Amino acid sequence: MKLLPLVLKNLLRKKTRSLLTIGSIVLPLFVICILGTLLRALEADPSGGKGMYRLIVRHKVSITNWLPGAYDPKIRNLPGVVETLRMNWFGGSYIDQSAKNQFARFSTSDADRLLKVFDEATVVEGSEAEWVNDRSGLLVGRQLMKRYGWKLGQKVAFKGDIYPITLELTIRAVFSAADESGVYFHHQAVEEALPRVKGFVGWYWLKTDSLAAAERVPKQIDAMFENSSYPTRSETEKEFQAMWVSMLGNVKLLVGSITTIIAIVILLIAANTMAMAARERVTEIAVLRVLGFTKEKILGLVLGESFALSVFGGALGLGLFVLLLPGFREGLVNSPMGAFGAGVRLFPEVLLLGFGVTVAVGLFAGLVPAIRSATRPITEGLRQVA
Amino acid sequence: MAEPLIRIENVVKQYTRDTQVLTVLDGLSLEVDKGEFVALMGPSGSGKTTLLNLIAGIDRPTSGRILVGADEVSSMSEGALAKWRSENVGFIFQLYNLVPVLTAFENVELPLLLTRLSKAERKKQAETALAVVALSDRLDHYPRQLSGGQEQRVAIARAIATDPALLVADEPTGDLDSKSGEEILVLLERLHSEFGKTIVMVTHDPKAAARAHRLVHLDKGVLKEDVRAKGEKGEIGVAAAAAIAAGK
Repeated sequence: MKLLPLVLKNLLRKKTRSLLTIGSIVLPLFVICILGTLLRALEADPSGGKGMYRLIVRHKVSITNWLPGAYDPKIRNLPGVVETLRMNWFGGSYIDQSAKNQFARFSTSDADRLLKVFDEATVVEGSEAEWVNDRSGLLVGRQLMKRYGWKLGQKVAFKGDIYPITLELTIRAVFSAADESGVYFHHQAVEEALPRVKGFVGWYWLKTDSLAAAERVPKQIDAMFENSSYPTRSETEKEFQAMWVSMLGNVKLLVGSITTIIAIVILLIAANTMAMAARERVTEIAVLRVLGFTKEKILGLVLGESFALSVFGGALGLGLFVLLLPGFREGLVNSPMGAFGAGVRLFPEVLLLGFGVTVAVGLFAGLVPAIRSATRPITEGLRQVA
Repeated sequence: MAEPLIRIENVVKQYTRDTQVLTVLDGLSLEVDKGEFVALMGPSGSGKTTLLNLIAGIDRPTSGRILVGADEVSSMSEGALAKWRSENVGFIFQLYNLVPVLTAFENVELPLLLTRLSKAERKKQAETALAVVALSDRLDHYPRQLSGGQEQRVAIARAIATDPALLVADEPTGDLDSKSGEEILVLLERLHSEFGKTIVMVTHDPKAAARAHRLVHLDKGVLKEDVRAKGEKGEIGVAAAAAIAAGK
């Protein structure tokens, strides 16, 4: 600790270079943490564990293929199934097709069961009953209400694309949940406007009573409809989410590769700074050794400097990340990727990743210059003219 | 009869460059008594600095023995040698070699950081060393704010901060004007006479060598001449030093 002032003074010897190097750690580390958070958010369960009890039943071929609504009582009667929900993707557009006006629009044939299946969601404005009892009623996520400045009782029109109709719906209730970026309305409103779609659903969403049921029921359902005209593919909510993520390609590998490359770049920049610093001080280090500084102490001095440089950069980078994360989440939630933003939060493992990168950079960037400085013969160091 | 502080016994130092073996010191033997002020002279490549480095324990002989006091420095491990240097030797360089980001006080305190002294004790010792070289008013000055002579005085303060018995100086006036060089020589004389330091100084300058009480002349790695002072003040004298340096 007695040598810490010397380490810090050495760090400030070339202020511009140190600041540039710290800057070159801060920004990439920020990016690493953001990427890590996105990756983690992709894998996260925004339901807080409740999704482990939920299942999705869709057409075996594709989710774009419909299933008969008549499957509902058969599925509902299976032991372990607590509640079922018939769901559809309405899609369409609000105002226009621009990216800023994209958000999820779902219709359900079972409005009264929606908050029973998604029991982590709560109605914060209006009431569930008002929404359930109004066939043209709309249930809106709180975030979306805020985004558009909508008010309870306001009429909102959605123009369909899959369904060639325009629905005018009235906001009857506002819900709060991890993902507040979507709207839900009665599928009966769609069926009334377009009778030919009556009797079909996009997928079933079920709630089971136990993890054992969540594991058993999918097999039972798929076996039950195996030889029908509408075979099913049943899976847990988590598997269903993973399917969507996998449609983006091997995101984990991509993000992991980018993170690794950024970490290596930081390492190279910091290593270059440390190599320059050590090279400029060959004589000075030899003098310290003449004074009695051991190899270990020289190793500690150079590594300490590298470590301090990295820690300053790392602390600033992580601080910046923690500071800007809520804004980043807000921006993401209000974007077309709103559902994706719902999983964004401060993950301890991401902070740990940032800390790990900081430590690794501090250690490895200074290692070679430190070993060289500590092992170069003193007489050779004294001969060198800086 | 004074007891020898430094004993150099049949020391050979060779360097290998590619496949060529270069003998810098060739079976040199020498004794330096405690409290002596010795000037090492000789032409470039004669082995003066190599000998100084061996005495100070910053290089090792190829063969032979070097003892300083009871310590055989030629056989110590690197770690032991570093500790030994910090306690027993003060090194004065031609180019001062102060750490530019540290003040005069902090530079002098550097070797004391390796000791078990408390902060207050270190402060007292560093201030005392700077008082000896008459730089008490420059404690907070950085090397760039000092003249060459003042920098060398700070370097001398650093060398004596741990109160070592032996001071080794490699061309201590080589980078200074004559006035500053004279001040440094007066200071070295004072360290020798008042504080009883044993000083071994490499120099090319007969005026600097003249201040020593013994002059050792090396040539091609062997001892060519070893002259002790006879003058009134116990110094070699400029004319004698110049003659020896010229090999007459």
